Amino acid sequence: MTRVEVTPRQGEGMRDVRGDVVRRQLAADHNIRVLEVRSVYGFLIHGETSSDSIAQRMYDLFADPIIEQGAVNTILLTTEAFSKTPDAVITIGFKPGVTDNPGKAAKDGFTTLFPGDREATVATYQTYAFYGLPSEVDVNWLAGTLHNNLIQRALIADKEACNQQTWPELDYPTPPEQVFIPPQPMDLECDDATLEEISFNGLLALNLEEMQAIQAHYRDDTIRASRTAVGIVPNAPTDVELECLAQTWSEHCKHKIFASKIHHVDHETGEDTVIDSLFKTHIMTPTHDMQNDVDWLLSVFHDNSGVIAWDDTWSICMKAETHNSPSALDPYGGAMTGIVGVNRDIMGTGLGARPIANTDVFCFGPPNWEGDLPDNLFHPSRVLRGVHAGVRVGGNESGIPTVNGAIVFDDRYIGKPLVYCGTVGIMPRTLPDGRPSHIKTPLAGDIVYMVGGRVGYDGIHGATFSSLELTEESPSSAVQIGDPITQKKMLDMILEARDEGLITCITDNGAGGLSSSIGEMAEYTNGCEIDLAQVPLKQAGLSPWEILVSESQERMTVAVKPEDQATFEALADLHEVEATAVATFTSTGIFHVRYDETTVAYLPIEFLHDGVPQLQLESEWTPPTPPLFQPPSTADHSTLLTEMLQRPNIASKETWVRQYDHEVIAQTAIKPFVGVKRDGPGDAGVIAPIHGDPHGIVISCGIAPRYSDIDAGAMAAAAIDEAVRNAVCVGLDVDKMAGLDNFCWPDPIESVKTPDGRFKLAQLVRANRELERVCRAYRLPCVSGKDSMKNDYGSGPDKISIPPTLLFSLFGDHPDVRFSATSDFKRAGDRVYLVGTSHQELGASEIAYMLNERGEAAGIGGEVPQLSDPASNLNTYRQLSAAIHKGFVKTAHDCSEGGIAVALAEMCIGGRIGAEIDIDGTGTGDVWGRLWGESLGRIIVAVPEDSESDFLALMKGHPTTILGAVTESSDLIITDGEDHLLKSDVERMAEAWKGTLDMTGGVA
Amino acid sequence: MQPKVAVLFGFGINCDHETKAVFELVGATADRIHVNRFIDGDAALETYDILAVPGGFSFGDHLGSGRLMGNRMRYAMRDALQAFVEAGKPIIGICNGFQVLVKTGLLPGPEGSASPDFIQRGSLGLNDSGLYEDRWVTLEFDPESPCIWTKGMTRMECPVRHGEGKYIMPSSEDLDRLASSNQLTVRYVDPDTPVGEGRTDVQLPYPLSPNGSMRNIAGICDSTGLVFGLMPHPEAIYAQWLHPHHTRDGAQPHGAGAMDGWEGEGLQLFRNAVEHVRSNR
Repeated sequence: MTRVEVTPRQGEGMRDVRGDVVRRQLAADHNIRVLEVRSVYGFLIHGETSSDSIAQRMYDLFADPIIEQGAVNTILLTTEAFSKTPDAVITIGFKPGVTDNPGKAAKDGFTTLFPGDREATVATYQTYAFYGLPSEVDVNWLAGTLHNNLIQRALIADKEACNQQTWPELDYPTPPEQVFIPPQPMDLECDDATLEEISFNGLLALNLEEMQAIQAHYRDDTIRASRTAVGIVPNAPTDVELECLAQTWSEHCKHKIFASKIHHVDHETGEDTVIDSLFKTHIMTPTHDMQNDVDWLLSVFHDNSGVIAWDDTWSICMKAETHNSPSALDPYGGAMTGIVGVNRDIMGTGLGARPIANTDVFCFGPPNWEGDLPDNLFHPSRVLRGVHAGVRVGGNESGIPTVNGAIVFDDRYIGKPLVYCGTVGIMPRTLPDGRPSHIKTPLAGDIVYMVGGRVGYDGIHGATFSSLELTEESPSSAVQIGDPITQKKMLDMILEARDEGLITCITDNGAGGLSSSIGEMAEYTNGCEIDLAQVPLKQAGLSPWEILVSESQERMTVAVKPEDQATFEALADLHEVEATAVATFTSTGIFHVRYDETTVAYLPIEFLHDGVPQLQLESEWTPPTPPLFQPPSTADHSTLLTEMLQRPNIASKETWVRQYDHEVIAQTAIKPFVGVKRDGPGDAGVIAPIHGDPHGIVISCGIAPRYSDIDAGAMAAAAIDEAVRNAVCVGLDVDKMAGLDNFCWPDPIESVKTPDGRFKLAQLVRANRELERVCRAYRLPCVSGKDSMKNDYGSGPDKISIPPTLLFSLFGDHPDVRFSATSDFKRAGDRVYLVGTSHQELGASEIAYMLNERGEAAGIGGEVPQLSDPASNLNTYRQLSAAIHKGFVKTAHDCSEGGIAVALAEMCIGGRIGAEIDIDGTGTGDVWGRLWGESLGRIIVAVPEDSESDFLALMKGHPTTILGAVTESSDLIITDGEDHLLKSDVERMAEAWKGTLDMTGGVA
Repeated sequence: MQPKVAVLFGFGINCDHETKAVFELVGATADRIHVNRFIDGDAALETYDILAVPGGFSFGDHLGSGRLMGNRMRYAMRDALQAFVEAGKPIIGICNGFQVLVKTGLLPGPEGSASPDFIQRGSLGLNDSGLYEDRWVTLEFDPESPCIWTKGMTRMECPVRHGEGKYIMPSSEDLDRLASSNQLTVRYVDPDTPVGEGRTDVQLPYPLSPNGSMRNIAGICDSTGLVFGLMPHPEAIYAQWLHPHHTRDGAQPHGAGAMDGWEGEGLQLFRNAVEHVRSNR
């Protein structure tokens, strides 16, 4: 083995930025001031090339000749490069078997220089040396902040070790031998308690009825006879089969709660009813009804994402996913696999779409949390940093712009962060060979390839694990790190294969691995035959069931006609992408898995996909009654505004968002930040993906989890309205928009662990009913969605359940991006209007939470914002869109958290200009309701004087109230008729709004 | 004959589509060519008039941005690149492409010679901020620069999108030499300075200089002015609707073409190279 260590040179104008980043984060997150941190990058090379040969080429590969210095087989801390003695040294490397992307890249570069040493492998590590470390800082604690012991290992030299010049030396992480276990029969001829035990001990996440259904299957004589014929154990499942069923039947894959039969009782209305599948009733049926009315809904629900026709030449699709449990265990790796995973859903749509835009919505505990943390949970600031970094690296390195998103904070997300990742894709409606791109065309006899990464021990049991609550024993194999470059190479290759007409069917390998991907595709032809011995492995010794269900990343499953195999494989070679034929489609009706010649699974397709028994669940609604929000009788609204702008839920997320590439592909016409200094909030992303053509796509989202504290139905309605309103603000064509529903819920099944399951299920029922009502009124079809139903931590009195949270994502048409609006006030003299009406709706509002947390108001209860007449809202939105498309309106901003006051402040910040506003006549509420209330359906617009009459003519018959005007001054002044309410300087507002979540620790 | 542009892609290059598009918008034909097609001999660099190395994250930027892609080109395409430069054909590297050209040694290249020696003389280090950022910057071009790509351009706004954009050379004499031959083609400037007077050797504060680059260097050319690289993305402002202020001061659309009155400032850079090829035929 050869060790290479590299460190930045210390010269004029040069600095150790990696060390600086660690120093700044300690200051920002823990208020610990360290004088200096220096860094070393280490490489451990395992191969046949001699250390001398490597030393000669060190500056060609491992170290930059201008800005770095390196050493071979020498710990740099022992050299001149580190003349001062540090106070502490921490070295961090990956655990064996964990994806080491720098190591992979180094190996690739190594092969360029030493083509004879193809089997060489490289592992990396990083060392940090701390100088001027405050003596009270515990070095073990410090190491804990720098690594995650689930996937990384750390070695430490404390003060004493440093003084003795004893430096940590990490060894090459050799993975433990994997022991190949041939398929075992799993005896299910046992009592119910034992069945449940088998499920529990095996992390199968199957309930008793499901275990019994499996038991019954193997008692069937016809089944037994057919199994005998192929030489597989006739009267019991193999471990391969049981694992395969557990994956396929998991909550994650089958959405059993959304498909369940629910007995719903409403104690408020006396309703007592049965709902046969929330999904079919409230999501699928409305969309199918709308499909009868429009011609642009090309593919809904059944594929990896929903597809709509954008114009005659192109179709677009979108999908959003969550990656909550993995992100709780390893924020960086979990979030990265979230974003690159949903990118694959787009690649796997139809015959392959190209991802062109990402969205990220995160829900975290407060970043400044000072309370206790339950065992095994990271501090919210660490979760934020890790998740953000994972999504940033995953998106940026894949060359997909992140154009829209949100970050929401609430204490309860400490237990389980929510990490929603979405992707928009585009594909030509017709491929060069004449096939419509959104329809898969597999035939029996087609050869099925596994393309991209290899299968490893990482990622076993992800799907079933995510269907269980987080515990201290959660398995490390469920955590993975994505490899965006392997995936990018695969994407380049797959799009070429698509355009050459080589692909007949494609899907991604996500939850459930090959068992799900091939299993689902096999439904098209009614059968498949897989040979697991063909599957390329990261390390030898994986057992058949592990190969089948491993969720190792960066893999697509692609079917190709036998006559196209050679062309397909040549294309894979060109792109240096591994593609291996592992299966053949059949029409036998059987999911047939072999390992070499031995049959290891033999499951009827019908049983695999439709054999899972329907859940029967109980739902009971009693409205929660949190103490009412009573605002104080007197208040200084100017100060309140500053404080509201500092609230994490309202504060600018610019530090974080600016680190996403939001402009790659040269299409982003409305960016996440807008205005004079490009730091005002963007309401929605707009892209014009065809170069030279201003035809656009709007991408937006809505989320309002705290409204669930009063009514989860209102929460859902608010999320949908917010998504639509955000999109209208930039110029959406409301007659061509589609939505995605992503539900994240606490476990809603009543049990010992979840005594309030009936209530949580009733919340889900109400959210779905509102979803249907609002989407029908908005003519807004849901074309794809997902649910994550076990977002709890712990049990008993310490249990933390997230607030029920619906993320509603929207994508729609923008006829011409040159006619768009942004939230920043443009010019003094522009007239400011409120479109929509304010009501007395302060329940669960941000102002209520703020005053309640400070003890200045009793509760957060009261009227939560309602969407009483969505159909009329839609008509108003349509008129406002028309005003934007005609160029009358260049300024529009939605009114949500913090109400009119915050929305106006943000518009002033964007324009770095003041405004004089009178909120008299804007609605039925009192001052608090009209100033801070979050009533839905409201948008603030500004109109140049010369467009005012055209604008008003268009808005005739729609609630449109004059608020005032943009002024030359730098003050936002708000009055209520004769009453002065607040006055705030725009720079002061900007400072307040931008400070809270800066968290950089300074960039100097 | 329209000039033919080879736009490299593969291994994590990801601005290949828009780079191809902007060359086509100014009258060239452009092909996206996978690096391995040049290496395997399936495509010939000599059949092209212009080479573009677009932005992206080749090999994930591990071991230093552009290093591994630079090595692939340095070892497997050396002769073809040498012949291309010696034939006087323009090359541009944008963002990751700039990093690649610096690490192959094509930029800044040997002093006063049109023949590349593939020796690395400068580098691009991590931004002083430690942050990868997507942020709009103001650039100003050296009117005396021999660079054929930037002729007639004075000031431009466009985004940077990088984490490793700090241009570094070992000594100030190295920078002086480039300055004296006007190879410090483009710099970050303070937008509040009068147009034409923004360029300065005095370090600008973050974020005016987004990365702490020495002498605020955003891009450099070789001594012939044919090989040019820069960290910012001129292709990202090919149309005014990509400018963050287009809702503030964009023209009202008129005329038949979508680009009428809406052409972005960045397009001129690509037009210059295409015109250069045309006029040297």
